[in-house]
Amino acid sequence: MTKVKWSTLAALTLCVALCLCGGEATALAQQQQEFPVATRTLKNGMKVLVQTDHNIPNVALYIFYRIGSRNERPGTTGISHFFEHMMFNGAKKYGPGELDKVMEANGGSNNAYTTRDVTVYQDWFPRSALPLIYDIEADRIRDLSFDPEKIKSEREVVASERRLSVDNENSGLLDEQLWATSFIAHPYQWPVVGWMSDIEHWTMADLKHHFEMGYAPNNATMVVVGDVSPEEIFKLCEQYIEPIPTHDRPPPVTTVEPEQLGERRLVVRKPAQLPLLMLGYHIPKTNNADFYALNVLRTILFQGESSRMYQRLVDKDQIALDVQSQTEPAFDPTMLEVAAQPKQGIDPQRCEKAIYEEIDRVANTPVSDKELEKAKNIRLVEFYRQMRTISGRANTIGTYEVFFGDYNKLFEAAKNYSAVSKEDILRVAKAYFGANNRTVATLLPEEAQKAAQ
Amino acid sequence: MTISRGNRFAMPGLLFIAILAANLAVASFVPLRAESLRMPPHEKVVLKNGLTVLLLVKHGVPLVDISTIVKAGAVADPAGQEGLATITAELLRKGTKTRTAQQFSADLDYIGGLLEAEAAPDYSVVNAEFLTKDLARGLELYSDALLHPTFPADETTKLLAQSADAIRAAKDDPQSVAIPYYCGYLYGTHPYGRSASGNEISLTKIHRDDVVRFYEAHYAPSNTIVAIAGEFNADEMKSKLEQTFGTWPARTVKTEAIPPATPSKGKRLLLIDKPDASQVYFAIGNTGVSATDPDRVAIRVVNTIFGGRFTSELNEALRVESGYTYGAESFFDDRKVAGPFAIFSFTKNETTTPAIDLALQVLAKLHKEGVTEAQLKSAKSYIKGQFPPSIETSRQLARIIASHEFYGLTDDEVNQLDARVDAVTPEIARQVIQKHFPAENLVFVLIGKASAIGPAVKKYASTQDARAISDPGFWPAPAAATTKK
Repeated sequence: MTKVKWSTLAALTLCVALCLCGGEATALAQQQQEFPVATRTLKNGMKVLVQTDHNIPNVALYIFYRIGSRNERPGTTGISHFFEHMMFNGAKKYGPGELDKVMEANGGSNNAYTTRDVTVYQDWFPRSALPLIYDIEADRIRDLSFDPEKIKSEREVVASERRLSVDNENSGLLDEQLWATSFIAHPYQWPVVGWMSDIEHWTMADLKHHFEMGYAPNNATMVVVGDVSPEEIFKLCEQYIEPIPTHDRPPPVTTVEPEQLGERRLVVRKPAQLPLLMLGYHIPKTNNADFYALNVLRTILFQGESSRMYQRLVDKDQIALDVQSQTEPAFDPTMLEVAAQPKQGIDPQRCEKAIYEEIDRVANTPVSDKELEKAKNIRLVEFYRQMRTISGRANTIGTYEVFFGDYNKLFEAAKNYSAVSKEDILRVAKAYFGANNRTVATLLPEEAQKAAQ
Repeated sequence: MTISRGNRFAMPGLLFIAILAANLAVASFVPLRAESLRMPPHEKVVLKNGLTVLLLVKHGVPLVDISTIVKAGAVADPAGQEGLATITAELLRKGTKTRTAQQFSADLDYIGGLLEAEAAPDYSVVNAEFLTKDLARGLELYSDALLHPTFPADETTKLLAQSADAIRAAKDDPQSVAIPYYCGYLYGTHPYGRSASGNEISLTKIHRDDVVRFYEAHYAPSNTIVAIAGEFNADEMKSKLEQTFGTWPARTVKTEAIPPATPSKGKRLLLIDKPDASQVYFAIGNTGVSATDPDRVAIRVVNTIFGGRFTSELNEALRVESGYTYGAESFFDDRKVAGPFAIFSFTKNETTTPAIDLALQVLAKLHKEGVTEAQLKSAKSYIKGQFPPSIETSRQLARIIASHEFYGLTDDEVNQLDARVDAVTPEIARQVIQKHFPAENLVFVLIGKASAIGPAVKKYASTQDARAISDPGFWPAPAAATTKK
């Protein structure tokens, strides 16, 4: 069955918030024993976390920079993501195009992702490439250069990416409009990829400013998982990373999104065979006591074919193909999204009504013991699914370290999920799922011919 | 919103990655280290009823994965009822002799289990995953779905309607339907031309009786491979399997060979009109090779250089140097008989012909100049270095051993790959290019705004075809709907 797509988002990073963990405290305490994390803070302020795993002779190295589209301003939206692209386009030692060529020729590959809050660089490589990877990373953190020709071609690449994931992709388009409507003050309102007119107008000066603002070693956390020892990683860090000078972190984001005082609605009309429905509810930042209760609630409502929303909309009423929810790790108060794919000919408002009825039910009547147990069991399995690959571990450990301020929260999550009670579920359902706190986005199909004119 | 830099994870060529996962692993490689990574030991047991069972114990996280292949996929769909294998697979968990669909989901979700079934072109596959502590429960659920489905009429009707709408929804996202159109146009009436999920018309022609017939014709112990990998005790597992899968009555089933796929001749172009598109999505190519083709490793090496990684010739030309696109790739989807080969990319309407011209130049250059020693060296390192994460988890391993068993491949796919990759020389590469990469005979499939790009793309082919994306089906156009409700 086709799932509603959330633009072209990588499953790898997205479900982190939901996939954190749950269930059996003892099992997870064992995991902590089995896979201990060694840490060191370098003299320049970069914190390094290392986990040894000899399952395969490979390494996953993730660098989390605490800078994303929330650090941008109108006129240069999307610059964080564009900058992320430019981090592959030439520094002092490895010039334009060389980084990828050298890395791949030595058996490595890379990628990166940008969110509203962070920019994360990912390297996956055989352990034989270790010193090279450090040489490459140090080069671009210290001495990134900007080739005007590369800026020109990469700008087109990002425009193409936007056309792919937003302009020609209905769920990406509606998602963008939902954030822009739900947030009126805070920088979460603009898209990570940037508005097209901003993509067309960034300058070299904007890039340089962004580098100076956020690419300080003291604004980054490095996570290394795989066929390595902490000692060898710390030694490489001392040699390659530690000499990079520290500087100021990005200025704090001081804008606070004012409380939403009533429902907001928006409509997108475009040629389409099927309509789409998305809802957004303001919720607290990730590092908040309600994080665990909200995830248990989301699991009960949305996860699996026995979930309440699937049972109601897809199975019983047969008005939707799919219904799901997502949140992302966030430094500031953020949004819980719900997306439903109505069936052909079904008014999205019918889906809306069914969703609200299920929310009312869960906010007013305690969930059953079995549902609560099920949700905690699901959280436990999801924990192991995240932790089964070196890449998944690097991302999960880094996400906890960055968004909760301490990777150990990963191993405490089981206890925190166990503590969620039926009363907590009632409380968070009432607190965050009210009508005044929601934004409703609907995509309505219009005739293709009209659009072509 | 998370936006990622790389094209490699979002490529439509990989849209059917779930189906292909096992298949891609066929082209597998050994790492750089002196002590080569080897396939973990596993054993094969044939139960009395003829069921093939593969067991691979892997410690690490307390999960168990099951991957079952039933040797009948979308190619076994009767003409006009495309999608039947998929519908049959998806209905397995929608009602059994002892559980309704709702009870099945409740029991599965309670233990945090996963169970997904689908049809690939060559076979149907049922994948599942459970915590080791829930293994007995998981196996009971799994065998219930596989052995005792009842295909309730109401669930069948529901799923058929949802599946047709899912195809309509997919057509709202051109990237997600490029490959079904491409395969339809490339293969025509050959079974590989069918979309495994069927189409808006064919799904209206499937009824519960057809599903029951398909299940009875193909789902039998002797026609099935069950692969289990993860953390478990092998002896206990064997006795549990006797108690569950061992009760499946033996039956003989007919298997039909897939007819050989012949390459398309000349140049043909299909333009699918999506009037609101600001970007054109294009696939260019011809038939590729089978999963057991003796050249498969050399092809993998050459394709890595041509269009199989970020610094490939195609991506360098169309993305890195020109900025025409966010990504350009090429892929071979190896199957029982020759699967498709395609170049895939997308670009804004205004740069349609410059981008396609450039892709064709890169292909022409491959034929003219071949590959260099330096390119080979780099590609070999890349393949070997990137291989280990593809056999990292019990989920991956269960799918790989099932796929190897199905295609008649062995652990040498893993254990000998180091040597096989290293053996590729520029001369071997030259022969492989000549033999397996199309040059003059090319199929073009484009999805885009016909009024903007139509006239300019006429130059690519003497045979031109056109459809609207809102027309039901992919290619060829399905016979008009004579819906029997």
